[in-house]
Formats: sequence, structure tokens, C-alpha cells
Amino acid sequence: MKTLIRIVLKSAWHRRISLLFTILSIAISVCLLLGVDKIRKEAKSSFINTISQTDLIVGARGGPVNLLLYSVFRIGNATNNVTWESYEEIVALDEIAWSIPISLGDSHRGFRVMGTNTDYFEYYQYGQSQRLTFAEGIPFSEVYHAVIGRDVADALDYQLGDEIIVAHGLVSAEFAEHDDKPFTVTGVLAKTGTPVDRTVHVSLEGIEAIHVDWQGGTRSAFQLSAEQARNVDLQPKAITAFMVGLDNRINTFRLQRAITEYNEEPLMAIIPGATLAELWQTIVVFEQVLLVISGFVLIAGLLGMLTMLLSTLNERRREMAVLRAVGAHPYHILFLFVLETVFIVFLGYVIGMCLLYSLLVLTQPLLVAWYGINITITRPDAQQWFLFAVVLLLSVIVSLIPGLIAYRQSLQDGLAVKV
Amino acid sequence: MSATPIIHLKEIRFRWPGQSADFLYIPELIVNKGEHLFIQGPSGSGKTTLLNLLTGINVPRSGSVMILDTPLEKLTNIGRDRFRADHLGVIFQQFNLLPYLSLVENVQLPCGFSRRKRANAGDMDATALRLLTHLSIPDALLDQPVSKLSVGQQQRTAVARALIGNPEIVIADEPTSALDSDNRDRFLELLFQEAEEQESTLIFVSHDRQIAERFTQMVDLTMINQAEVAE
Ligand SMILES: Nc1ncnc2c1ncn2[C@@H]1O[C@H](COP(=O)(O)OP(=O)(O)O)[C@@H](O)[C@H]1O
Ligand SMILES: [Mg+2]
Repeated sequence: MKTLIRIVLKSAWHRRISLLFTILSIAISVCLLLGVDKIRKEAKSSFINTISQTDLIVGARGGPVNLLLYSVFRIGNATNNVTWESYEEIVALDEIAWSIPISLGDSHRGFRVMGTNTDYFEYYQYGQSQRLTFAEGIPFSEVYHAVIGRDVADALDYQLGDEIIVAHGLVSAEFAEHDDKPFTVTGVLAKTGTPVDRTVHVSLEGIEAIHVDWQGGTRSAFQLSAEQARNVDLQPKAITAFMVGLDNRINTFRLQRAITEYNEEPLMAIIPGATLAELWQTIVVFEQVLLVISGFVLIAGLLGMLTMLLSTLNERRREMAVLRAVGAHPYHILFLFVLETVFIVFLGYVIGMCLLYSLLVLTQPLLVAWYGINITITRPDAQQWFLFAVVLLLSVIVSLIPGLIAYRQSLQDGLAVKV
Repeated sequence: MSATPIIHLKEIRFRWPGQSADFLYIPELIVNKGEHLFIQGPSGSGKTTLLNLLTGINVPRSGSVMILDTPLEKLTNIGRDRFRADHLGVIFQQFNLLPYLSLVENVQLPCGFSRRKRANAGDMDATALRLLTHLSIPDALLDQPVSKLSVGQQQRTAVARALIGNPEIVIADEPTSALDSDNRDRFLELLFQEAEEQESTLIFVSHDRQIAERFTQMVDLTMINQAEVAE
């Protein structure tokens, strides 16, 4: 046994160049497979963790996924608004513990601007029931104050006290800027790993103020200065959506139905968890395709190894005859191949894992900075260890092919190898 | 009779898979202790086939292969391999050495498969070095890769490997056919010297009649093979 292991190692070392490439190809395919799996899990958890503890999101009637996308992920637009009266009427219901109004539509240098009130900082939760916290500063307390997410602060290098100019609509354009009414940064939120990081938060009154002298998409001839706008009635006439927390979860479905059947205007309420799951189902197909592709890449790697092993069979016949002559059993020959293959795959797998972890460590800050995806580096989970075991088992099965051929050859050849 | 048979073949019949008639039929062949057997015969006459039977790599269809009072045909496959590992040393015509092992490791290889040889060899490093020195392998070559050795040196190293652990029988299949006459004589000289010292019986196959005179016993395979259709 010890002799065989030594023979395997020395023989492998002798052929190290070709083995190195085989090991590398397995390492890369393992890295790819585990990487896709990792990103898949991270994406799912970061996705599911975007919002927490909110029981219902209410918006104008339309697609539930669309409502979720614009209210939580800041993707896309609402087709209609919710009137302030409806909002006030609904949140006055007994079952409702808290609510957060949301007013969207403007942007600042590529980041969405969201009008809300200070309840947002108190009640909004993400991840495992985590609340928003301030990295610096305080919530907005007046019309021209703004609180920015961590990514906004980092990307635009904003400090407390800096002035920012909100653009009308979602594309930044010179002529459509509310440049007469700048906002002052009063707070920067701590990193959440959610779209909150990429949002500029202002008060509903702020949103109202910058739009008082606008009609439709253009500035009206009748302009008001920032100071003048303060004195106008800044009570919003409509908001985009609102989030609701209930005293008792049991009432969720009843309230959802009540809102859907609301008479004054066509509204819709979604349960974030359910709609998230629905949305995830559409993404999951893509993700599974990726996973299957990486699985095939790994199989290609194993087949490459098989090709390599088969191609060396002939030139190793003499080696086998020598081993047979000194007393090796054909089982030993078979075992030699199994051991070598498991050794190659084991090394390949371990190198692949190391490769993945180094890649994760290197790219983690970049992924957070560029995409707001925060990848947590964790130890391989049970599923990944299981995959390790499966791949090793596969390698044993693969090794049986050249192993059994060599076994049969060594039985046939005996002492004479005719090459 | 003082001589004890170390090898005793009786009524053995052998054919390769797919052959319809016996390829070898040897009514009797006896080698006594202390003797060295030279087997000669033209190429293709079945010399290597006979050695495969003697080493237990192949088994005859019928008959008895008695080696050191052990009937090989009665052993299991694993038993025969173990028997070969313990009691036999083998030298091929060429390419005896594993290129990825050092000279010393090549010589020690049989000890990895046989506890008996390991015990007989004692201090394995010292024994391997002693054998290599006796077989006039220059010290400077000891830590060189096998590929740096001349064919003659490789064959002599193969002798050292066949002899380590004092096997009772050393089987050599045309070990000199790749050597020029000077190297051949040197090889035979050293082979005999070491085999005598260890009291190993040599079974030596060659088609080269010149070598035969050194041996106490000689058979021509075409003579002892009574199979009707000898290819
Ligand atoms: N592994 C084998 N399988 C089938 N036939 C074999 C095998 N080895 C040898 N033979 C046949 O046995 C015959 C004798 O071969 P061999 O014993 O090698 O002769 P020699 O060693 O005297 O040159 C050849 O005709 C060859 O075709
Ligand atoms: Mg031959």
C-alpha cells in the first residue's frame, strides 16, 4: 500500500507537466461551478433580504412584480400614483401599526431620489429584521434636507453639509434640473447591501417644493425661489406607493383584499415576501441554466482527464509489466489508476476552491462598490462538501475505465510487452 | 538421490485464448537446486510463454507447475502473485527500470511487494548499494535518472533488483539480446557471480547458443515442447 502510494506520487511527479494542465482544467471548472453556486446563493439571499417586516406594499393597480420593483428595488416606474387622501384614509385603519409613504420620480446623478417621511428611518427593515442606522449625521428635519445611502456618498464623495441638485425625471439633463432648489446632506446611512444604499432620501415636502413651479415635464414661466416655495402649502397631493406594517399579521390577507376592493381609486396591495418569491422564480430559471452549464464544464474537465489517462495507457504498459514482475497483482494496477485519478481530482478540487476563495476576497470590495452585491465569504456549506464527495466518487468511476483496461492488458501481456 | 527439484513441470498443456490447439505441451521438466537452466529456442517458439507459466502469470490448462514444492496451479491469482513476489526475481530483455524512480528505489522495488524479501534484505539501502556496487554500477550514477544509464548498466541494475531479498529463483528473459558482446560477457559474469553467492537458481532464456556453455543444464524448447502444432 505504502509502496503503491509512493509509486503513484513519483509516477505522477514524473508526468507533472501534463498532469498540471489536467489539474488546472479541473480546478477552473470546479472554481466556475462553485462560483456560480456561490453567486446564486448570495444573489438569492441578498434579494430576499432586501426588505423585511413590511406586511404590505400599496400602490396603484398594475403588476405586482412591477410594484415591488419600483418601490423596493428602485427599478422601473409607477404608471399611476396614490392620492394623498387614499393614503391617509387607509393608514388610519386600526390594524395598521405604521406606514411609510414613498414618492419616486426624480434622480440625482444616476441615483434615485425618494421622497418619504422620518418614519422610514424608524420602521423600514431589511435583512434579518435589521433597521436603518446612520453612519454619519441625522435624519432630514426640513424641506431642503437630504439623507443619502452609503453608495451614493462613496460614489460621489459627499460629506455632510454638501449641496446636491435633484434632476427632474430619471435622466440627468441640464435643462431639467431643480438647480434653483439645492438640498443639503444631513445624514449618510450605514451600508445595508440593499437598494437603500443607492438612494437619495428627502422629505415628501422637499419633493413637493421642487415641483411647485413645474407643470408636467417642464418648468412653468412662473418661478418660485427656494425660500418662496417653503411658504406654499407643501402637503403632497399624491405619492407613488406606501409600505405598511400591521399590529397583527393575521390581518394581512383581509387588509390586502380590502385595499384591492377600495372604492375611491384602483389600488393594489402586495405581500413583499410572496411577490419576491414570485419574482425569484423568473430569475431562478436563468440561474439554473448557468448551474447546469458549469456542471457540464466540470464533466468536460473530467472527460479531459479521462482522455489524458487513456492516452498514456500504451506507454505505461511496460511500467505495468515491471510492477507485475516484481509481484504486483492486477488489482494493484487498477488501484494505481484509481489512486492517481482521485489524487488529480482532489488536488484540482482543492486548487479550484482556493482559486474561488482568492477571487472572492479580491472581488468582494469591487462587487460591493459596483453592484451593491455584498458577498459574504463563508466556509463551504454541506451542499458543497457533498459536491466534493460526488466529484471524488465520479473520479473513481472515471478512473475505472483506464484502470480496467490496464488491468486486462497486464493480465494479457504477462512478462512480454509487445510495443 | 541428493538433488531436490526446485522446479518440476509435469504434463503441462497451455494455449493462448482463441487458440484451438495446445501451444505448449511439456511432459516433464525438472530443475534441481544448485543448477542453472538455459532455455533456448527460436523467436516465437514460446520461451516467454513458458516463463509466464513458471512465474505464475499464466496457468496451464492442465498439468502441474511445482515450484519450491508449491503447486502454482493450486494457488489463487493473488496467491500466485504473492508467491512470485516472495520467491522469484525477474529480468526482462529491456526497459526493466521505472523511469520515475531512482536507481536505488528501482532496486528496492520488490521489497515493497514482499515482506519476505524485505526481511531478507535487512538494511535495504545498504543492501541495494552493495548489490549495485557488486554489479559495477559507478557511484556517480546512483542519483542520476535512470535514463542516463547505458543499456548495459540498466540491465545490471535489473539484476540487482532481481536478486534483492534473496529469491530462490531468478528468471531472465533474453536479458542480453540488447547488449553488445563485451557488455554481454560482463553481464553474465556478474549475474552468475551474484546468483552463486546467494545460491539462487537461474532460469535463463535466450536464442544465443554461445551463452549456453556456462549453464549446467540446457533445454531446447522445440525439443521438449511436444505440442502437435508448434507455431
Ligand atoms: N499475451 C498473448 N496473447 C496471445 N498470444 C500470445 C501472447 N503472448 C505470446 N503469444 C503467442 O505465443 C507465441 C510465442 O510467443 P513467445 O512466448 O513470446 O515466444 P518467444 O518468447 O519464444 O519469442 C507467439 O506466436 C505469440 O503469438
Ligand atoms: Mg520472448
